[in-house]
Amino acid sequence: MNHRTAAIRRALPTAWVLKRAWSFLSQPINWTFLGVAAILAFLSLYPSFFLLYGSFTDSPLGVPGHFTLRNYIQAYSDPAAYRLILTSFVFGIGASGLSVILALTLAWITIRTDAPFRRLFELTAVIPNIMPPILISISWVLLLNPSNGLINATLMRIFGLGQAPFNIYSLPGLIFVEGLILTPLSFLIISAALKGMDPSLEESAKTLGSNEFGVVGRITFPLMRPAILAAATLNFVRAVESFDTPAIIALPARIEVFTTKIWREALGSFPTNHNLAATYGIGILVIALVFVYLYRRFTSRVESFSTVTGKAFRPHQIELGGARYLASGAAFVLLIFLVVLPFVVLLLVSLLPYYHVPTWDTWKTLTLHNYRYILDTPRVHRAFGNSLFLAIVGASICMFLATLTAYLTVRTKIAGRGLLEGLVFIPWAFPGTALALGLLWAYVDFPIPIYATIWIILIAYVTRFLPYGLRAVTSTIIQIHRELEEASTACGAGFFATFRRILIPLMRPGIMAGWIILATIYMREFSASIFLYSPGSEPLGPLMYFLYLDGMRGRVGALGVVISIICVILIAFAQRLSRWEAS
Amino acid sequence: MARNVKLLLASIAALLVFAPQTYGQDAKLIEAAKKEGKVVAYGSLESDTSDAISKAFQKKTGIEMEYWRASATKVMDRAMTEFRAGKPLFDVILTNDNPLQIMEKNGLFAKYNSPSAKDFPKDAIDPNLGPRYRNVIIGIVYNKSMIKPADAPKSLEDLLKPQYKGKLVMPDPTQHTTTTQWVASLFKLMGKEKADKFIHDLAAMKPILVESLLPAAERVTTGETPIAITYVKYTFMYGQKGAPLDYVRLGKMMGDGHYAPLSSKAPHPNAGMAFIDYFLGEESMGILAKMGEFVNRKGIYPPLPDADKIQFVEMVDLDTKGFAEKKKEYTKIFLQ
Repeated sequence: MNHRTAAIRRALPTAWVLKRAWSFLSQPINWTFLGVAAILAFLSLYPSFFLLYGSFTDSPLGVPGHFTLRNYIQAYSDPAAYRLILTSFVFGIGASGLSVILALTLAWITIRTDAPFRRLFELTAVIPNIMPPILISISWVLLLNPSNGLINATLMRIFGLGQAPFNIYSLPGLIFVEGLILTPLSFLIISAALKGMDPSLEESAKTLGSNEFGVVGRITFPLMRPAILAAATLNFVRAVESFDTPAIIALPARIEVFTTKIWREALGSFPTNHNLAATYGIGILVIALVFVYLYRRFTSRVESFSTVTGKAFRPHQIELGGARYLASGAAFVLLIFLVVLPFVVLLLVSLLPYYHVPTWDTWKTLTLHNYRYILDTPRVHRAFGNSLFLAIVGASICMFLATLTAYLTVRTKIAGRGLLEGLVFIPWAFPGTALALGLLWAYVDFPIPIYATIWIILIAYVTRFLPYGLRAVTSTIIQIHRELEEASTACGAGFFATFRRILIPLMRPGIMAGWIILATIYMREFSASIFLYSPGSEPLGPLMYFLYLDGMRGRVGALGVVISIICVILIAFAQRLSRWEAS
Repeated sequence: MARNVKLLLASIAALLVFAPQTYGQDAKLIEAAKKEGKVVAYGSLESDTSDAISKAFQKKTGIEMEYWRASATKVMDRAMTEFRAGKPLFDVILTNDNPLQIMEKNGLFAKYNSPSAKDFPKDAIDPNLGPRYRNVIIGIVYNKSMIKPADAPKSLEDLLKPQYKGKLVMPDPTQHTTTTQWVASLFKLMGKEKADKFIHDLAAMKPILVESLLPAAERVTTGETPIAITYVKYTFMYGQKGAPLDYVRLGKMMGDGHYAPLSSKAPHPNAGMAFIDYFLGEESMGILAKMGEFVNRKGIYPPLPDADKIQFVEMVDLDTKGFAEKKKEYTKIFLQ
């Protein structure tokens, strides 16, 4: 009898656990959660594990070593590190703040007003995301360096100045260039959220006597808070982590930022100290996770941002009257800085026989030689094919995962949903080159033979850039009121039907914005692909990087121009497809 | 004892594998290489140069060459990672001395005595890595349209003259590894005492510091800064395209030696050996020289005025600790 009671007692918790597990798994939403969590955990933790392990060991990655805290002591016991972190903070906040201000202005003019040419502005605002950041930095050095920068030289000649009015080699110069580089990402996220806004609140404010600018200040921008914070968070970490712009601008100005230190001591050391690089990466990861936490806190009262409700609405456009030409003029000036000037320099570089500041004699030497190289070289054609494949397939997979993750983290009450967001951010916070090595280690000996194929690059792209897709789509899902899903469920639709027929169509602006961000980044990505490609699977990013490394700036320029044109076609096509589906 | 036996067996095995093919790019080797299908090389040799060599090699032997190009440190990172994971995909590595020595110590290379080695000077042959096929030389390059040749510096010490203040660009020796090595090797040209003083005086000139040797040269072509410490070969490379560049004839100049060793676990060992034989041969070295490279095969020079008069001095090798110490020292001298 006693035995029987004991057996029942033992069996009861097991039965209880099994029952709970069964009831958990019987809900499609729950096993979707488990599936997504498993995929994210694998993508994120598998390569990150090598880096995390590397930060606590004294031997190179992949070689058994001893546990040590030496890397942490070396990285964070130096008081200079904190001074540099402070400079990086100023740089990061300045650059991301500038990018948000520029993006808000541009997005408001192109999405919410009747300013002429707004469609064209919307399309071209994305172009800087296509150009490699290093080329944009170099373009601005050519324009604003104090010795012979084109803008400086022109202003000095016109106004008879004895000294160059602008010096790109300064902290404001650094913030200015990085801010411009980061603007397209902010623009895409903010404009997607603006597109999804119900104008009824704005109209109510107007009825109550507010003027157009009062509405913008008191209604529109506060409602945009999730999108603004999303853009600011992403761009802040991106600026703090970037090395390209500081290498071109901060180094000659003798301004030290945190990444300069990482480069000197870890990535640029010989041989590369990946253990130390990974340790620095952990620091950036902590900063990124603090920002994710703050973002979640600031947007936790999601209902207050819900403007997409069951009531039908059509995007309201503010009629500016005569001021619409002024708005177009302002957008045009912004686009001159963002797109036209760097693109013209890129075009010029692609047509010059060698890289120099043009004089009147230069026009006689212009050549199409670099474009002929693109046309005649099979290696370039293959790289175009690979990158197009990676851009279209990679961005689609990434947005599918991001949409599911966004839904699970924002809409459900499943325990541990916050972890999904943390998982997504882990690989992103490591410096690109360090993560690439983690990926190399993770997949070189993987049981499925994907090493040295294009699939490993696809996995790397999805792993590294998922946060971009997630942020873009999360800021739009927050805007959608629950009543629509509830209505769908009340009508008998299951989770998948509601997700497919209600949420995805309403989240379309965010999904499309994320897709465009990712596809344009994938067209030129190099830091994650560099270790992972093999000669047959070489994408455009590494090809451009090597041409740059070999001093073939003209060819890089020509490739940049061609990629920009292809991306604009890709974006226009994607936008048309999205509108066609919507109709 | 057991270890010695293992070593002996390994040596015999290595001899059995490599000894029959050790000498001669003969028909037998090419035939065996063809059966392997292709040769895979990882390296920091410039893509244009490798493209030209790959085409010529395929034309001559019918064997395809696959090339993965990266910076020297990345080449080392990838090769070591694959090697440690037991999945090396490369047959040959084409890069500079320092990373190759580290890889060699880790057992990545097999000793291969290519018959083409006989045409290289004896002092350009490393016992483990084989012939040093090219020297990448660092010197003073200037913009002729901004500084007349008569007014250009004539020696390294001339760079310290007040008229050149604010006109010199160089890679940051606290960031750029090859430049750290170059500054640390200056004693080989001027003796320790003079070199120490020169380094301090050079830092006091507040040269403009950039990321690497290429941006230094590019600032000279754009005219942003008229004088650079950079690779001499850029004078030819950009000069060919019309850039008004010249280099200072310093007599003795320092630089990095590059080698082409064979992998000890080459997936295509015969193709690897056939490629090395061809690569070190006259035709291939001629292609390299035509592209402005200072090759070591006797009697071949790049089409750069006075190239044959340059006396090459190899920079000192630094280990991890050495680099860290020098970077720390130069941070104090150049940045504080």
